[in-house]
Amino acid sequence: MKLLQNSGVPIYQQISDQLKADILAGKLKEGDYLPSIRGLAKDLKISVITTMKAYEQLEAEGLVTAAPGKGFYVNAQDSEMLREQHLRRVEEALLEAIHAADIAGMTDAELQSTLQTLLGMRA
Amino acid sequence: MRDLFETGSVIRAANLKKKYKGFALSIPDLQIPKGFATALIGENGAGKTTLLNILTGIRLDFKGEVAYFDKQEKLSAKGVQEKIGYTGPGSYFLPQWTARQVADMSRLLFENFHEDRFWKICDELNIPVEATKNIKKLSDGNRMKLMLALVLARDTEFLILDEPASPLDPLMRDKLCDMLRDYLEDGDGGKSVFFSTHNISDMENVTDYCIIMEHGSIVEAGFVDELKEKYILVKGEAADADTAGQYLFSISKGSYGFEGICLAENLDKLAGMDIVRETPTLYQISVAVMKANTKLKLAY
Repeated sequence: MKLLQNSGVPIYQQISDQLKADILAGKLKEGDYLPSIRGLAKDLKISVITTMKAYEQLEAEGLVTAAPGKGFYVNAQDSEMLREQHLRRVEEALLEAIHAADIAGMTDAELQSTLQTLLGMRA
Repeated sequence: MRDLFETGSVIRAANLKKKYKGFALSIPDLQIPKGFATALIGENGAGKTTLLNILTGIRLDFKGEVAYFDKQEKLSAKGVQEKIGYTGPGSYFLPQWTARQVADMSRLLFENFHEDRFWKICDELNIPVEATKNIKKLSDGNRMKLMLALVLARDTEFLILDEPASPLDPLMRDKLCDMLRDYLEDGDGGKSVFFSTHNISDMENVTDYCIIMEHGSIVEAGFVDELKEKYILVKGEAADADTAGQYLFSISKGSYGFEGICLAENLDKLAGMDIVRETPTLYQISVAVMKANTKLKLAY
């Protein structure tokens, strides 16, 4: 796992993103246990509370379940939910583009045509 | 007392009071979470060492109650002191002792002292332990390492460390963080650490919970991730500096802009200004909280 100190993305977010990617890619399978909270904190040289927050976020998103005294294990992945998550990321990225377009003073039509052009360039 | 933490507390103290000339410690309620590393931060003279001395039993002339561990026992109860390891800013060794004599003494004092582990840690930390080298000849850093080796050579459940990082070099501070993380991992939620420090940046990546003291009182306390949501680092244009300044802690202004720490709940007061936000470091939060409470004359 690779963490960036000054990327602007909180460390816990980076951890949960990377674990999430591993889960979605099938590297962590249903029933697999995540590394222990304090073990991961030690390996990554970060505080316990940061790893705990990352795991709680994965739990809130329904990707893992906490088993008291045993740690966190990976849930069966629901394809509908996965799609929902990807859709959310698309929306976030588009909102960011809209914000940038506002600053640049682009009209909606110009923004749409830029999107069309980019879609057209896609292989 | 109301439980502050899901995991329980390693220390619960109520109505702590201690007065000196020109200084009064007053802490109505103190809890330290079990299973985590907690940092105690504050200016010189804020009362950090006084508090730690009360918690370790070095200072007995105070008012209030302190209970330790799950069973909320007193410090004098059987086995409680045995479970606590302490290192202080001074040295609790006699100056003419050698490492050998320190080890002999610890074996007599503590049943849970593992001498083999002690020598192993001394070796790891490169502490000079020759028979000719007595404590007074050690540097401050090596004396601190020796104290750390002693407490880590015991099977404890709670470490109270007064300024452990101060005399250490950067490499050794990094090692100290590793050792504390090892300790917490080994306890798997059962072991806790409470340390005071001025070296906030060096210790941030091992700090889970943080308590900030000023003038004998606790002015802020919380898990670091919660504090990082409560306080936001804000940067903006010079023209807005005066208006924004009313809502910011520790603002610094220049001809090109301003920068300061804002309570998240006050962010909407800055609406309409061209600002960017950042997550502050624990160091930035601590300085802001300390500035808001200090008696130091700071020029703004």
